[in-house]
Amino acid sequence: MGLAYEFDWSVLWRNPYGMYLLQGIWVTIKMGLIGWIIALSLGVLIGTMRISPWRWLRFLGGAYVEVFRNIPFMVQLFFWYYAGPMIFGKSIQYQINSIIGLNYYVAIIALGMYTASRVAEHTRAGFSSISRDHHQAALSTGLTHPQMYRYVIIPYALRIIIPPLTTEFLTIFKNSSIAMTIGVLETTFMSYKIDSETFHGLESTTGACLIYLALGLAVVKLMGILESRLKIRGTIGR
Amino acid sequence: MIQIKNISKWYGDFNVLKDINEEVKQGQTVVVCGPSGSGKSTLLRCINGLEPFQSGEIFVDGVSVGDSATDLYKLRTEIGMVFQRFELYPHMTALQNITLAPIKVRNKSKKGAKAKAMELLERVGIPDKANAYPANLSGGQQQRVAIARSLAMEPKIMMFDEPTSALDPEMIKEVLEVMINLSKSGMTMIVVTHEMGFAREVADEIIFMDEGSIVERGTDISFFQNPESPRTKDFLDKILI
Amino acid sequence: MFDAVVNNFPFLMGGFWVTVKLAFFALAGGIPLGILVGLGRISRKKWVYYPVTFYVNLIRNIPLILVIFWFYFVMPIIIGSPLDPFPSAVISFIIFEATYFGEIIRAGYQSVSKGQIEAGYSTGLNYIQTTRYILIPIALRRMLPSMITQAIVTYQDTCLAFVIGLPELIRRATIVDNLEVRSVQLYGFVAVVFFITCYIGSLMSRRFEVKEQEGG
Repeated sequence: MGLAYEFDWSVLWRNPYGMYLLQGIWVTIKMGLIGWIIALSLGVLIGTMRISPWRWLRFLGGAYVEVFRNIPFMVQLFFWYYAGPMIFGKSIQYQINSIIGLNYYVAIIALGMYTASRVAEHTRAGFSSISRDHHQAALSTGLTHPQMYRYVIIPYALRIIIPPLTTEFLTIFKNSSIAMTIGVLETTFMSYKIDSETFHGLESTTGACLIYLALGLAVVKLMGILESRLKIRGTIGR
Repeated sequence: MIQIKNISKWYGDFNVLKDINEEVKQGQTVVVCGPSGSGKSTLLRCINGLEPFQSGEIFVDGVSVGDSATDLYKLRTEIGMVFQRFELYPHMTALQNITLAPIKVRNKSKKGAKAKAMELLERVGIPDKANAYPANLSGGQQQRVAIARSLAMEPKIMMFDEPTSALDPEMIKEVLEVMINLSKSGMTMIVVTHEMGFAREVADEIIFMDEGSIVERGTDISFFQNPESPRTKDFLDKILI
Repeated sequence: MFDAVVNNFPFLMGGFWVTVKLAFFALAGGIPLGILVGLGRISRKKWVYYPVTFYVNLIRNIPLILVIFWFYFVMPIIIGSPLDPFPSAVISFIIFEATYFGEIIRAGYQSVSKGQIEAGYSTGLNYIQTTRYILIPIALRRMLPSMITQAIVTYQDTCLAFVIGLPELIRRATIVDNLEVRSVQLYGFVAVVFFITCYIGSLMSRRFEVKEQEGG
């Protein structure tokens, strides 16, 4: 027929390949978590800017979202990693390029900034879906604007935003795999590395698939717990 | 209690309120009716400072609404407002909806606020729903909670913006009953509505607005039997089958 | 200042052409497959629903890069000889994007009221006819803005075929960069190309959204 292929599933746990995968998983998890923290803080800020009463803030927020949304993440990554240091001029450029593990740091920041644009959109949509009448109902009972935001609008908006944020949290782990293109030693890179050393890429990539599946399940479980806790606790309003 | 003098308002180029004049005495119930877009809802929102206006003056119990020195937050503690879509806070129970403002604005104790809230829930007829979330209440029940929420601040004036328009027919009656009782107990009320049965029963004055102006006003009897303006007659024909 | 870009323009734009071709084939296969996947996801026949749901949930949890790799390793084993990057990428993309389009179109199917389908049956049409002439057209029209957005995402995702050596836009930029090291220009150029094309695409999507609301 053609190529006879002998499966060798031991590449998934045999030394040193098992260690490669474990290292890769750890890097993936770190990138996802730290990137998510950056994305959340930056994203909620920008989303709030987009619905603020000041035109130039809205414009800035909008520009950020459009730029980071319309350029593929991989292109952003390449730009920051290869072209980024050059922007600072030759002397700083050499200093930056000699940082060990630079690609890892650049990847996390780029991942955070990219995901932030998506979080910003979800935040904006969440706030926009709360009608003006709802704001007015709260104000009409005598609440001040800060009180209205704190007790009525923000708790309400948070509950609307959590499902899409769960999807984004899942997506950030998947997008971390793109960092392999600049040599970050995460899960997907490691499965590729195992192939280059053993020629058993099928097994290694299948193993990587299972790892991402497990990660996805863990995230969904975690966010599910968060969502149900917010429901029972429904007294955030106090 | 309320004096509206020469109020005009524009949204950009659109003149939504044209030189409105009106006075509402204490204890009176005034009904405002008219086609959509006539400016009725906007007028209400000008009275409690939710919407600004460009010219004229509004005085509520002596306080000038348009004056920049006026504390609008304080003003709104004296004017209650009920909305067409109820606007209950979905993440809070009925009880919590009612007690939020008294606790945060008037610094009432939780115990005291809760007791008052239960009293109000009894008054509107649903004390058993105190711990229910809005999602588990019917439209009529939600609106009654909304009325209780406004009453919790013990306002001097209550305003209603089409309070029954979003309700199924079977539930309109229960809400109107609460409003009728409120009116008869002496509350000063401004009600935007098409429910002419309500107007006939408790209105001291009925105003017909169209395209931003008050076209006609009268006490109920004269209003229904002999409308003067053709526009009023036209409108009444449409809503009174 | 833009000398690296200008000098290599034909080479770079050749990469852009590969990008567009890949996106085109991915959509040409992914959307029809997505229509079927959506039908599978609303099927009441268990032997259809469970496998399709399994497939969709599986793929949606895995990064596209990994799917691309996986097929690149799998295809030679199945057909018995190594595969070119382009066909391999096309197959990976079709299988991947069909799940995303499938979910979008499924939402479209579910938004079609039961009454409309019943009207079709009551005039004597069978399942295939009702699905083909009523369900699918209505669903597609409704979900057009979301589908355009997803098409733009697919177009952006073509970059990832970089990892199996496909000579699309960004790989060509990398090749030039290795020679001339004008990274800012080159990657900036790639970024601008994507930004302009995607932004125009998103404007189109918004146009369709408005048209839809006006009663399309």
